Order: sequence, then C-alpha cells, then structure tokens
Amino acid sequence: MGPYLLRRLAAIVPVLAVVATIVFLLIHLIPGDPVSVMLGPDATPTQIEATRKGLGLDRPIYEQLLGFYGRILRGDLGQSYFLDRPVSQALWERAEPTLVLMLAGLLVAVAIGVPSGTIAAAYRGSLWDRGLMFVSLLGVCIPGFWLSLNFIYFFAVRLGWLPAAGYVSVFSDPMAAAKYMILPAFSLGFNQSALIARIARSCMLEVLQQDYIRTARAKGLSHGVVTWIHAFRNALVPVVTVIGITTAVLIGGAVVTEIVFNIPGLGRLIISAILRRDYPVVQGVVLVTATTYVVINLGVDLLYAVIDPRIRYE
Amino acid sequence: MRCSMPVRKALVLAAAILLVVAGAAFSADAPRKGGVIRVGNLGEPPSLDPHWTTASITETLTNHIYEGLYSLDSSNKPIPMLAEGVTISKDGLVYTFKLRQGVKFHNGKEMTSEDVIPSIARWGKQSPYGKALFAQVADWKALDKYTVEMKLKEKSAIVLISLAIPSSFAAIYPKEIAEKFAPEVKATEYIGTGPFKLAEWKPDQYIRMVRFDDYKSRNEKPNGYGGGKTAYVDEIRWVPVPEVATRVAQVETGELDFADDLNLDSYDRLKKSANLRPIVSKPYYWLVAVFNKKEGLMTNQKLRQAWQAAIDIEPIMKNVAGGHTEFYRMDSSLAPVEITSWHTNLSGLPWNEHNKDKAKRLLKESGYKGEPIRFMTTQEYKWMYDFALLSKQQLEDVGFVIDLQVVDWATLVKRRNNSKEYDVFTTGMGAFYDPTHHIYLGNNWPGWTSDEDILRIQAELARETDQKKRFALWEQQTRQFYDKVPVIRYGDLFGLRAMRNTVKGFNEKTERVRFYNVWIEK
Repeated sequence: MGPYLLRRLAAIVPVLAVVATIVFLLIHLIPGDPVSVMLGPDATPTQIEATRKGLGLDRPIYEQLLGFYGRILRGDLGQSYFLDRPVSQALWERAEPTLVLMLAGLLVAVAIGVPSGTIAAAYRGSLWDRGLMFVSLLGVCIPGFWLSLNFIYFFAVRLGWLPAAGYVSVFSDPMAAAKYMILPAFSLGFNQSALIARIARSCMLEVLQQDYIRTARAKGLSHGVVTWIHAFRNALVPVVTVIGITTAVLIGGAVVTEIVFNIPGLGRLIISAILRRDYPVVQGVVLVTATTYVVINLGVDLLYAVIDPRIRYE
Repeated sequence: MRCSMPVRKALVLAAAILLVVAGAAFSADAPRKGGVIRVGNLGEPPSLDPHWTTASITETLTNHIYEGLYSLDSSNKPIPMLAEGVTISKDGLVYTFKLRQGVKFHNGKEMTSEDVIPSIARWGKQSPYGKALFAQVADWKALDKYTVEMKLKEKSAIVLISLAIPSSFAAIYPKEIAEKFAPEVKATEYIGTGPFKLAEWKPDQYIRMVRFDDYKSRNEKPNGYGGGKTAYVDEIRWVPVPEVATRVAQVETGELDFADDLNLDSYDRLKKSANLRPIVSKPYYWLVAVFNKKEGLMTNQKLRQAWQAAIDIEPIMKNVAGGHTEFYRMDSSLAPVEITSWHTNLSGLPWNEHNKDKAKRLLKESGYKGEPIRFMTTQEYKWMYDFALLSKQQLEDVGFVIDLQVVDWATLVKRRNNSKEYDVFTTGMGAFYDPTHHIYLGNNWPGWTSDEDILRIQAELARETDQKKRFALWEQQTRQFYDKVPVIRYGDLFGLRAMRNTVKGFNEKTERVRFYNVWIEK
C-alpha cells in the first residue's frame, strides 16, 4: 500500500502543472481584460492603459506565465484584482459555504439515491421499481436552475416556510444554517441522486444474480437480510465510484445552485471572476478544485480496499 | 366654570382619545430612528474609491460615505454641500470656495482645506470628469484653513457642475488617505464625511454601513441628492444578489427591504404583491448604437444617416420594455426630461423617421456594396441584445447586411477600444448633467467622434458661461448630432425597483438610490 500511495501522490504534480498552464492560457487568451471592467463605462482608453501597466498586464504572455509558475511554486496564488486581497484569502473565505453545500447535497443525493436503487433492484419489475426509476429520470432531466427557482417560489415566496436565499454559517447559528441549506441541498441533491440510484440498481441486480445470494435464500434468510447484509456491500464498489465522482462534480458544479440561492461559495466566485476577468482568482479556484478532485479520486481508490478485502494495491 | 364630576371625567376622556388619535396620525408619518435596511443589488463594486472608477454601483455606495464640495439639487443643478459657497472673480478666472466649518470625518478629524486640496487634485488626475476640469485649471491651492482657490486658464462653464456630479465624484478624503494612494491605484481605506460610515465589507456577502453619529447635516430641507441628510436607520446592509429572480423573491419574502435593478418581466407580479410596491426608476438608460468613426465602413456619414432613417424606434422600445408602456419614453433630446436645464424640444430632426425609401436612397448614395457590418452586442444586458436584434431585422429590410456579434460584457468593453474589431456596438447612456460630459461627442471615447463642427461646439460649451447662450449652443449641437450621426439615439428605457411598504421617505426621483432621509416603519 505504501509504495502505491507514494506513486499516486507523486502523479498529482504533473496533472496540476498541466491544469495550471491550460487555465492560465485560456483565461488570458479570451478577449476582455479586468481593467476595462473595473474602471467603468466612462473610463478613457489612456486611463485603462495606465492601470493595465500598473497591474503588469502589458507584459508579454510568456513572461506572465513564467511569473505565475514562480509564484505557484512559492505557494503564492497572487492577489485578486477585483477583491483587493490575496487569492488564498478569497478562496479560504468561500471554502466553507461550498463544502457545506457539497456535503449537504451529497447527503441528500446518497439518502435518496442509494435506497431508491437498492429497493428498485430488490423489487425488480414491480411498481416500486418503475416508480423510483421514473423519479430518478426526472432528477436527471429537470434543469437544476429551474428546480431551484421553483423551490424558492413555492417554499419561500408562497408558503413562507423557508428563506429564499442566503447562507448562515453552521458555526454561528446551526438552526438558521440548516434552514438556509434545505432548499439548496435538495435542489442539488435531487439532480445528483439520479445517477447514484441507477448505478445502485444495476449493481444490486448483478449481485442479486450471484450464486451466494441463491445460497443465502436457500438457507432461509429473510429478504431484508439477504438484500442489506449480503448483497449490499458487494454492490457498493461501483456505487462508491459514482459517489466519488459526484463529490468532485459538486465542488465545482454547484455553481448554479450557489448563484440562485446566493451562497457565497467557490462556484459563485469563479463565475464572477470569469465575468470580471479576475485572472488570479480564476486560476486559483481551478487549481484548488483540480487538486481536490485528484485527492478525492485517490481517497475513493483507497476506500475500495477497505470495502472489498480482495482488492490490494502494491 | 365649574364642571360636575361626570362631565369633567368625560372631558378628560375625550381629550385623551383625541391625543391618542392625533398622536397615531402623526407618528404614522413621523420618521423613526433605528433598524437595518437591507438592499439587494446587482453585485460587488470594483472599488469604494469614487475617484477611481465610473462604475454605477460604486457611485451609489460611495455617495453614502463621502461628500463633495457640491452636490445636485432636485433639478440636477449644482448646490453647495461641503462648501459654504463660491465667489467668482469678475473675469471668471478665479473661483474662491469657502468651506463649512466643524465638519468631521469618520475618524473624528475636522475637514479643512488641507484635506480638500489633495483630494480634489487626486480626483483631477484619475476621474474623467476631474481630468476634463483640470485641463482648464492653472492653479489649485489653499488660502487659509477654510478657503480654497481655483485659478483657471480660461473661462469655464463646468467648474461647479464637475464638482457636483455624483459619478466618479470629487469626494473629499482626509489628507493622509488622499496622499497615500496614487490616483491610478484604488484607495483601500474609506473615511469620509457622509451620514454613514463603512462598518464591514465582506465581498460577495454584504457591505454594512452604519450611522455616523457626528454627521453635520446642512440645515436646508433635502433637495435632490443634496440639502439636509439624516441617517434614520442604524445600518444599511447592501447585499449583492447577482441572480435577478432571487432578488425579486427576496424582496417578496421580506428578506430584503429594497431590491434594485429588477427585470421588467417581474413587474406584473410585483404590482400584485400586498407588502411591497414596484417603482419605475427614471432616468435609467437611453439606448444608443455607437459607430466606429475612426476606420471601417461606418466612417461613411451617408451610411450612418441611412441607418438613422431606416429604424422604427417605437416598436423596438416597446419590445425592450416587455410591452409595458410605463417603461419607455420616445424622445429625441440628448438630455432626458429629468435633466431639466438641458432638455431640448426641437422639431424637424431626422429622428425616428422610419422612412424606408429615404434609407434606401441614402444607402445607394453612400456607395454601400453589401459588405457585412460588424454589430457588437451582449446578452448580459438583455435590453442591449433585444434592441440590437430588432435593429438588425429592420436594417436588413432596407438592404443592410448586419453581422451581429454577441459577446460578454468584458469582451465588449475591451473590443470597443480597438478600432479594428467592430463597426458598431450597443450601449446605454445614463444621465449626463452637463453638455460637456456627453462622452460620445468627443474623440477620447470608443467611437471616436472627430467631426470638426461637433468638437468646436463642445469646446465653446466648455467656455461659455451664460446659461442662455449655452442652451442655444446645445440646441445647435443637437441639430449637428442628427446630421452627422455619431451614434444612433433610440428611446429612453426606464428601470424597475421594488420597495417594501415599511420603507418610508425614499426619494423616487433620483437616478440612483439613496438611503439617507429614509426610515423603516415598525
């Protein structure tokens, strides 16, 4: 396990180097620059040029790229043009809302998806199966944006049960934090639960065909024990993969939910940063997201070894 | 007269009831101190340094924290704010301003000439309005603690108005801050003399401003952006809510007390709501298509005139306003109705002629051979995209070939500075308080208007101090505008805001929102 772990950790470096280069080039090559946006509509071209020079944006692109590499190696993500603070601080301030949203969304997705898929498989062909898979189909097809706005309209505006938008930290007021997180978590989780449900169902179906299941049934074990004690854990490996992918997707992919529910997280930050051409922030968010994705992937792979004793890495 | 006991009791009771009723009637209208007003707006300001940027959201926020020597009254004319007044020399070249005394900054320091001189000098180096004024200034210095003097190179019409306009304005900072930050660098310390001071700024979450208890208000009644200012609320909380549907929902649920910059689609829904009401905000933007007159197809005046003759503006405006007639106005004047000093009522202008034959004739005369005209717009402002699309249809009907290029705002703002990248672009103009501020009539702004007659009249407008003569020049300039067609003027579009019924005292007549003199009813 040890050498495997080291190899995997070492492989992260080239991945991140490529990601860093691509995002730098992409964002710098798109037309538009931060200064014209910041100085406002009535700014004169001479004023814009002077400010660009001040930010070092008039230097040739390869020079700026090398400067970027140098800073990254020193662990310095740079300074946000728009927010007047270090990029690392901007990211740190927004990490908590995104993590909380991601976990809450994941919880909802797993809580809906795994039981749905398992039950559908256990009662295959029945009304349960067809009903649950139809609902999961809706989860895939319904656009998250539309779902979020409708949640807000019904539960906040019409019924007044929950707030329409906003975020409260769980560390300052847990009760309020929960209230604000319910609609976004369900909106996000419902979308993601679909894939988990389907995979869980197929995996369970495959496992339920196995000989050892037939043996368990022949031994006279109840339906529940067979499903949950014997079949479930064996079906888990692919399901854990999907959950892992979902987690990674949720880090960057909760953008729409963050914007609609006005959650001050990384997703919202990167959209604003792109629109404002705040280069250092875009680069920082993408790098951090890529790193997290790679680490989660590694974690998922290691988790396999825990779930399935037959899997061993050298 | 001696009353019997029952009569006396009845009288006392009647008096008590009368007092209570009168008290209730009065207190319903009487301002009350306290509370937090939560305002939802479009997004984060790029800076809270008003010298540095012309962004409208910076304008709105900073006008609560800072003040300038002058401000604008309800008819958009300059009135003194931090200045007591001005004496102008006979030859019009020396302006001597007396400052108000005992005005405190948020850090307790008193505002004097040693703060005013570097603040306005800094503004004069960075703000486009400051730079335009200081091009005419020979000397700017303090005479004593409460007197400052501006010496001009030649007579100028724009001194007071430049010091008064709220956008990228001549805010007074403490000397230490004005000198610490070079003009091209954003100031990151925010100390002003305004009725509110900055308490907390959490980017993308909120900006909190709290009442400045030592604010020294002017004695007059509130007048436009100026006059007396009272901070009734304890705190203004500005919440950036980038998604407009969410902004609307939050003012409906009461999570916000005020929501700005709303989409016209939500007007019908807001009208029906019992706890709030929609406000039509005027002026907002007047829609223009700006021609690249430096190089390319649109350097051809006849071609520009053909475009002007072809378009039928009313159906375009109606469409952009979502079918609501309350949200647009047809007007050929270059200054909107609300800028009363400069609103013109000229007839016989070739505006909105929608004359297809004339357009086709002009097209022929121009020698246009059907080359695609690059028309740049953005979907980030839906009204820009809408009027661009509708114009394209109308223009192609008479023989134009339009290559509509849809980009994001940051790209548009960048590209429009490069004369090789486009022929026309869409934008909206806000309120210009003086003829010399109409940036599209100059050579320094995208589009590059370099027509001799137009530039000559602009220069005369900067020098002529007699109001009647200035107005006559402005009417002349308007006729020039419609002949030379540097940009196409469409109609006026209005904006939508929503305010909870508990918010009182809000001035609906200003272009941008202000929350001093505003209170929240319990």
